[in-house]
Amino acid sequence: MSKKPEIKTWKDINTGGWIESGTSEHFKTGDWRSKVPIWQEKNCIQCMQCFAFCPDDAIKVTAEGKRTGYDYGFCKGCGICAEECPITAKTIKELQKKGPNVKIDAWDGAKNPEYAEKAAILMVSIKEAKEKHNIK
Amino acid sequence: MEKTILARTGNEAMAEAMRQINPDVCAAYPITPATEIMQIFSGFVSDGLVKTKLITVESEHSAMSACLGSAAAGARTMTATSSQGLALMHEILFIVSALRLPIVLADVNRALSGPINIHCDHSDTMAERDTGWIQIYAENSQEAYDLLIQAVRIGEHRDVLLPVCVSTDGFIISHGMERLETYPDAEVQKFVGEYKPVYNILDVDNPITVGSLVLTDYYLEHKRAQHEAMKNSLRVMSEVFSEFGKTFGRTYDFCEKYRCDDAEYILVCLSSTAGTAKAAIEELRNQGMKAGLLKIRAFRPFPAEQITNTLKNAKAIAVLDRSESLSTRSGPVATEIKAALYDACVNKPMQTYIYGLGGREIYIEDIKKVFNNLKDAKCGGQVEYLGVKE
Ligand code: SF4
Ligand code: SF4
Repeated sequence: MSKKPEIKTWKDINTGGWIESGTSEHFKTGDWRSKVPIWQEKNCIQCMQCFAFCPDDAIKVTAEGKRTGYDYGFCKGCGICAEECPITAKTIKELQKKGPNVKIDAWDGAKNPEYAEKAAILMVSIKEAKEKHNIK
Repeated sequence: MEKTILARTGNEAMAEAMRQINPDVCAAYPITPATEIMQIFSGFVSDGLVKTKLITVESEHSAMSACLGSAAAGARTMTATSSQGLALMHEILFIVSALRLPIVLADVNRALSGPINIHCDHSDTMAERDTGWIQIYAENSQEAYDLLIQAVRIGEHRDVLLPVCVSTDGFIISHGMERLETYPDAEVQKFVGEYKPVYNILDVDNPITVGSLVLTDYYLEHKRAQHEAMKNSLRVMSEVFSEFGKTFGRTYDFCEKYRCDDAEYILVCLSSTAGTAKAAIEELRNQGMKAGLLKIRAFRPFPAEQITNTLKNAKAIAVLDRSESLSTRSGPVATEIKAALYDACVNKPMQTYIYGLGGREIYIEDIKKVFNNLKDAKCGGQVEYLGVKE
């Protein structure tokens, strides 16, 4: 992890304001969230689509290349991981087979109990994340 | 030192200076009347006379963006443009100066639209005066050549590290053939020296972040640092002017004072109009009027002290602005001079003019009229249009 730049006065600023790399680690953007992604390990096929599409660095992957939880310090709650997860598409297709007019998507799917059971990523409210999943 | 005497237009003179500077990268997009600079220079690239990487882009916004990237990677970078092209670079000009990248830009002054016009006035560079670039206005081809060479040294100095714009008057100078003295390639190369950048975004062994987000906590400090760099440039420019003089035998200054020592009436202007003014002053001197000229070369940084020291002994001052600020008051040059005189507690009768917009000719007779009107000049005179069809 990089050091936080020490800037006291204007004289301490590097020429042109360059700083060492990796300082975004200090800039927690997780508090921008209005929804929280929940990973359901039991439905995950470890395809790494979510990892590849996440615009931040919020999806944790082990050294062995295994997707684990989220780094909520950086997750902005954009829902891209849920949208790109192939299990989302699969689940929606299955639900549509039962009722062709069923309107469901990655952003709101968690409200549907059947979707919530089968999807690998659920987007839930901050309140629900706190109460049901113990995520602040 | 051996000098070569050539017949060259302003654009040819600037291209020749660029050949001798031999920058690492040029990214440019053509625009009248500056097209020729890069056209001639691209010939030098094709003929292998320079080692420059030439990047042709789809707009001036892209040209300045490519220059920014190349300069941030530690390359000595130059470009050329004019008018709408400079206006299209506007957004990036601020970023270049904030990142302290000493890009050198050859501008050919041309009126901004509208109405659309291709001829000379200073509206293009004056519109960029607050972008944090050093601005130098050349009177003729020789000055354009000499100042472009010096611009490299000024901008790249450790205490400055700011981009520099050197401009000539569109068509009047850019396409007017004049006598030009050039210096040997090796001497110019020696004078500009090697560029040692303070940072390099492509140094993978020492990765850094450039252009990061700075909010309420440090934005003010960043601007304060830029302010200091601009202040430093006053000292550095003096040093470079003097070293250039010693090396090549032609000494520059922030301003040129022409017959100002005993002058009662002083006219202030920029660029090629100074040539016309000198001819007018000679005629007026023959008629017994103590007339003088103060030609400003450096508009950014603004050499307030030198200007007020020259003007404080005059009986009356005339200022010619080749661009409009449409404040209903004076143009940008006169406004700046008034502020400098106020700071020096000098209050003089002054008549300010807007002239030459869109390439309107200015004649010796116009300038003589300006001087003759100065005899009745009062403090608080309103700006007037010179040479307008009334
Ligand atoms: S919600 Fe957005 S930011 Fe958060 S983990 Fe998913 S893709 Fe990344
Ligand atoms: S959560 Fe979805 S996208 Fe991410 S690895 Fe598991 S199956 Fe793939």
